[in-house]
Amino acid sequence: MSTTMTPTLITSEADIDLARNDRYESYFQLLWTRFSKSRPAAIGGLMILCLLVLALFSEFFAPTDPSEIVFRDSFIPPQRLQFVDAEGTFHLVPFTYNQVFTIDPVTSQTIWAKDTSQRYHLRLFVRSWEYKVLGIFPSRLHLFGVEEGGTLYLMGTGRFGRDLWGRACMAGRISLSLSIFAVLVSVSIGAIVGVISGYYRGRIDWAIQRLIEFLVSFPPLPLWMALAAVIPPQMDSLSIFMVMVVIFAMLGWTLTAREVRGKVLSYGETDFVLAAKEMGASDARIIFRHLFPNSLSHIIVVLTLTIPQIILAEAFLSFLGIGIQEPLVSWGFLMKNAQNLETLGSNLWILSPTIFIVFAVLGFNFLGDGLRDAADPYSIV
Amino acid sequence: MKEQNTNGQTDNRPILEVHNLKKYFPVRSGFFQRITGHVKAVDGVTFSVPENDVLGIVGESGCGKTTLGRTILRLYDPSEGEILYRGGDGTITDIAQLPRHAIKPFRREMRMIFQDPFSSLNPRFPVKDIIAEPLIIQRECKGQELEDRVAALMRRVGLDPDYMRRYPHEFSGGQRQRIGLARTLCLNPRLIVGDDPVSALDVSIQAQVLNLIVELKEEFGLTLLFIAHDLSVVEHISDRIMVMYVGKCVEIAPTPEVLGNPLHPYTEALISAVPPADPDIRPQRILLQGDVPSPADPPSGCVFHPRCRYAKPVCSQETPELREVHPGHYAACHFADTLELNAIGSEE
Repeated sequence: MSTTMTPTLITSEADIDLARNDRYESYFQLLWTRFSKSRPAAIGGLMILCLLVLALFSEFFAPTDPSEIVFRDSFIPPQRLQFVDAEGTFHLVPFTYNQVFTIDPVTSQTIWAKDTSQRYHLRLFVRSWEYKVLGIFPSRLHLFGVEEGGTLYLMGTGRFGRDLWGRACMAGRISLSLSIFAVLVSVSIGAIVGVISGYYRGRIDWAIQRLIEFLVSFPPLPLWMALAAVIPPQMDSLSIFMVMVVIFAMLGWTLTAREVRGKVLSYGETDFVLAAKEMGASDARIIFRHLFPNSLSHIIVVLTLTIPQIILAEAFLSFLGIGIQEPLVSWGFLMKNAQNLETLGSNLWILSPTIFIVFAVLGFNFLGDGLRDAADPYSIV
Repeated sequence: MKEQNTNGQTDNRPILEVHNLKKYFPVRSGFFQRITGHVKAVDGVTFSVPENDVLGIVGESGCGKTTLGRTILRLYDPSEGEILYRGGDGTITDIAQLPRHAIKPFRREMRMIFQDPFSSLNPRFPVKDIIAEPLIIQRECKGQELEDRVAALMRRVGLDPDYMRRYPHEFSGGQRQRIGLARTLCLNPRLIVGDDPVSALDVSIQAQVLNLIVELKEEFGLTLLFIAHDLSVVEHISDRIMVMYVGKCVEIAPTPEVLGNPLHPYTEALISAVPPADPDIRPQRILLQGDVPSPADPPSGCVFHPRCRYAKPVCSQETPELREVHPGHYAACHFADTLELNAIGSEE
């Protein structure tokens, strides 16, 4: 063998490998191709991404420290960024006026009004209160803020004078992580139960389906409330978080189980499952190598469509005050004060975290729709 | 080497003997899923297949031929009867009595070709994994050896091994059926049940795949049970033909006997449906009235009597036994001796 032979040999082998891998696309590549072409999926994905970024880096997006309690600033209405000042002069850089309060002599209600004596202009990348990025790196940098001495409450403040915008961003951490955890647990349970039910059929299937019917026939809200009510009040907030995850998972798996069962039932009829039996494959192999991968796309869709339900349920429980407890905050928890109709009547903006909930629910629904379309790339050949 | 041994001497001892095989599917209804009846898909079938023979099994849709094939391979548990399989070393095993875990070694030797090349291949598996799956399940080999064997099999069935990383949806029906064939052959089986393997293919492809099956049968020394709904598909490859109707065997004989001297009116009707090779011949088609009766509620007496044009009162009262009318030619008809039935290619 001469050394000059070697390069040709290598090239030809590389050519063979190229030919073998030509046009080879795995399932997830195909799924991605179709998913990225879907407009609702892109919009939904973007919405979720925005919320995740806002939640993870909420301090960076918050001009005022959302955990700082200032009783004096209780229930400040949302401040607007304005270009035209009280005298009618136009300013290129938007600014805010600070809010000052007077007490109505008759009703003794607090009335907030603009203090037009001093403008505070908007600044990007300001350095103000200190925080830790992701809880690790100390930083003072914020995306935006107003000049020293001014305040910027984009969504107003709550009872304790904390900035609702910053708090809502931060609440996304709990609301999103709780629902994603709960959905992962519930979909895992649902997928396993569904596969067992659909694969073994017969009595097992009958028993599981009757159990599911029994569970879904409970009115969900009283059941959640009853379960949440048995949480001992002295429990620390992290344990409460875990218990909430378990509660939602325990009650949310039924939908997944039914959907997966249906899929497995239909795949169980197909010849490739029969062929696997004919080769002597074990039940475990048929379930995990054949039925599960084929149902996976479906499971992912159910997963994204179940998240909004859990976000809403969590918001509801926390709104009632039987869910997440301080110091953790969730979107529903932020609106707890809105239970009091009098408070709500004079401070409507305390409902503003709803915007986040709507945004999240819509985003996950769009995402799920797009995934549903992309889930069966083999349907179009 | 193994192939040569089996090829070298013609062995006429049966590789498979089926005695009075029955498969009843329970019909369940109501909230508590009580059994309210049975579908008698296979109802007392008896036959034997000598080694290296091809037995063609024909019948209309719903006559139980697919169920018969699946029950022989224990994809369904038989309700009654014996499936005696003679292994390569001469030991005879009753497949019907084996507990589930003991069947696995026999799954190497008794294999199936599936009817539908589209649904029988897992869409999530590349071709390599599909063909290699039996090798992996039976722990035959792995790694490079596995890949080499898959490549050799692909070449043998006429596929380019370069395509082994592609997915089934990138192949045509004929190519997919070749993938299925490679999967069936990969453990060097001795007995193959072909469940109508060409019916889902274009007519132009059917002949190619049929020829390939015959070639492979010779090369690997296989014994074939070839199920088809069309006599014209099995007539050229079968040594013997069994005609099934509503779960029962109505006639079984060597191929020339069945085609040239049918003894059951149902066989006659099937034969008349075979298109003649000569376009000038206008065959008298026997159009059967009505549908195949429900196997859940088969007619009394001879199951064929409601559609039989020779039926007499006795036919609805007494069930005819499958009997040897001529040597080696069995038929289940009260009048097998007396009826003058049309053979293949005959004009009335």
